[in-house]
Formats: sequence, C-alpha cells, structure tokens
Amino acid sequence: MTPVLNRLRQPGAIRVEFQPIVRVHADHIEVYAYEALSRGPRGTSMERPAVMFEYARRKGVESTIDLLCIAEALVAATALPGRPLITLNVHGSTLAGVSDFTERVLSSAEAFGITPDRLMLEIVEHRTPWIAEAFRSTLDELRAAGVRIAVDDLGVGASNFQMVVDCQPDHVKIDRHVIKGCSRDPWRGAVLQSIVLLTKTCGATPIAEGVETVDDLETLLDLGIDVVQGWLYSPSKPAIELAKHPLAHSPIHRSMKGSCS
Amino acid sequence: MKKKLLIVDNEETILFALQRYFQRVGFEVDIARELEEAEALALHTRYDLVIADVALTTTGSTEGLEIIRHLRVTRSAARVIMLTAYGTPHMESEAYRRGADAFLHKPRPLAEIARVAEQLTGGFA
Repeated sequence: MTPVLNRLRQPGAIRVEFQPIVRVHADHIEVYAYEALSRGPRGTSMERPAVMFEYARRKGVESTIDLLCIAEALVAATALPGRPLITLNVHGSTLAGVSDFTERVLSSAEAFGITPDRLMLEIVEHRTPWIAEAFRSTLDELRAAGVRIAVDDLGVGASNFQMVVDCQPDHVKIDRHVIKGCSRDPWRGAVLQSIVLLTKTCGATPIAEGVETVDDLETLLDLGIDVVQGWLYSPSKPAIELAKHPLAHSPIHRSMKGSCS
Repeated sequence: MKKKLLIVDNEETILFALQRYFQRVGFEVDIARELEEAEALALHTRYDLVIADVALTTTGSTEGLEIIRHLRVTRSAARVIMLTAYGTPHMESEAYRRGADAFLHKPRPLAEIARVAEQLTGGFA
C-alpha cells in the first residue's frame, strides 16, 4: 500500500459534493439529478479531482479509487433533498475488472435506502481497449437491475463513438469543451446537432456539461438539449447545503429567453 | 504572481523542511511522495521549478529520474534540481542526459539548494 493510497483509504478522506443537473421547462426548471463529485483530503495533492484520478490511472488503482468514491457518495447522498437520481462516475476498466461490481454497488446503495432506479453510472475512460466481454456483462447486470447508464465527457478523449456503441447509453453527457462557446461557434453547433441526432435516433437523453452562460444555454435549448449542468445553475456543494438551497443562482427557464442575455 | 514549485521526496522530514523553506521565500509549493503523484500534479500545473529526490521507494532506486523524462515529454519548461544521498557519476550523467539542470548530493544545506533554485528561476520574487 502506497502512502497516498493509504491516506485515501482512511474513512472520510474522500469528500463528496454534488452538482445539480437540471431540466429546463417552458416556465420553470427542475432538478433532474445530482452528480457526485469526489475530492481527496484537504491540503493534499489529491484535493484536486483531476490529480487524484490521474494518479489512480498512473498507479493502476482506478478500481480501488472508484469503489472508495462510490461508497462515500452513497453515504453522502442520504443528505440530499427528496429522492433524486444520483449519478456516480466510474471508469470503464472498473466495470470490466471488478467481477462483483454490480453486487457491491447495489448492496451498498440498498444499505442507504437508495433503490437502483435512483442510480446512474457515468462511464469515463482514458484508455482503450478494456475487456469488452466483462464490461458488457456488468453493464447488462446494472441495466437489468434498473440502473441508468451514461457515457461521460462525450467528445473528448476515449469518450467517443466506440464508447457510445459499446455502452448503448441511456444518457450521453456532452463534454464542456464542446459546450463552452457553442453560441458563437458553428463547429461546436454542428457537433451538438450531430449528437442530438444520434441520441434522438437511439432514444438516449443528451446532457450538456459546463453550461456557464445564458447565450450557450439558449443555443442548447434551440437544439433540443434541455437537460443541463453547470455554474449557470449551481456549482457543486455538500449535500447538506443543497438540502437548504438546491440551486444557488437565479432560475433561468425558457420563458425568460431573450430577456437574460 | 508566485512561482510554482513541486517538491518530490518520500522522506517526510526533508519534504516538509523544503516545503516550509520555499513557501517562506515566496514560492507556491506542491509536494508529492510518489512518482505517479508527481506526474499527475505536473500534468495539471505549469511548474517553474521541480526539486526531486532520485530515490523515491528504496535506497538506491532511481525512479525519481523518470520525472525529468515526464516533464520533457509534456513540454514542461520547469527547471529541475535532482537530489540524492547515494549518487554515482553514472547517475549524475544520466540525470543531465535526461534534462536535469542541477544534480546535488544530500545532505545539503537548505540555503545552498535555495541558491541553485534562485539561479535557475531568475530569482524568487
């Protein structure tokens, strides 16, 4: 056990915040889901999620870190308001490599009163290929139990069409790189159009990540993407704070279109 | 803007002594105890200077030298000081061949390491 990994395994070392994902309706918005976002101990290099997951990949301990993060997220999710959909991040290699992944996650969730239909797994991967057969088998188990599947960060890295084909997801989360500035960039607009067509054809729901401006939001709504996540609505926060104030910023919905930008 | 420094060492006492010293002279300091931790940090931060021990696991190991390769491959402009308590002429030439800017033998007074750091980074301010 390395010193860093040992520290991450201490109870409470991994802290979890949640960021709301909202659906924008004609005259109001609603919380669609909460994404669990994990961070390592304060004051350490692992406090930065990108560093923690990069470390995990380089050390070959993605599965260990994924399972720790999921366990902490399920504990933390009990403080969220209502009975929301909770989205958890997981590496494709974890699904392929941890043979009892489904059982572990579902039994942990059950212990905290979270039913499988309230879970969505966001699959991320930075390397391919993984063991396709084991990967698909775990996905099938999860789906059969009622867990929803999402491809995370679509448009960058290994979150590509191969990932979409392999996962046959219920949701695709479009990476912020594609979203940021989409209101004034025809190339980003064209990529988004193609994703809308893809998801519509396959019956999946697109989710826009990193929505920060009203202009970009309007472009997304015009394209038919109405499930969004980003600072425009709320940063990530501890569950207890979200229970008090679910959305930090002024709600922006379709009826305000044209008056906000 | 503060200059950014990454210190890599598996010995806590050295790690914290260097961290405190360089924070006091005005650096923004990150620390790492393992090679992979250092690489992950360097991938997400543009460091001005990296100070790394050659041996990060066992006495006589040389995985610290990998940091130089990682920095150069990722086009980092960081200047690199390698430290070692068990250096050999071969190890030293290997460090310079990979792109180290200085190779210092431990124990070394902090002030001397700081002097080399100051030369390499063009001053602390």
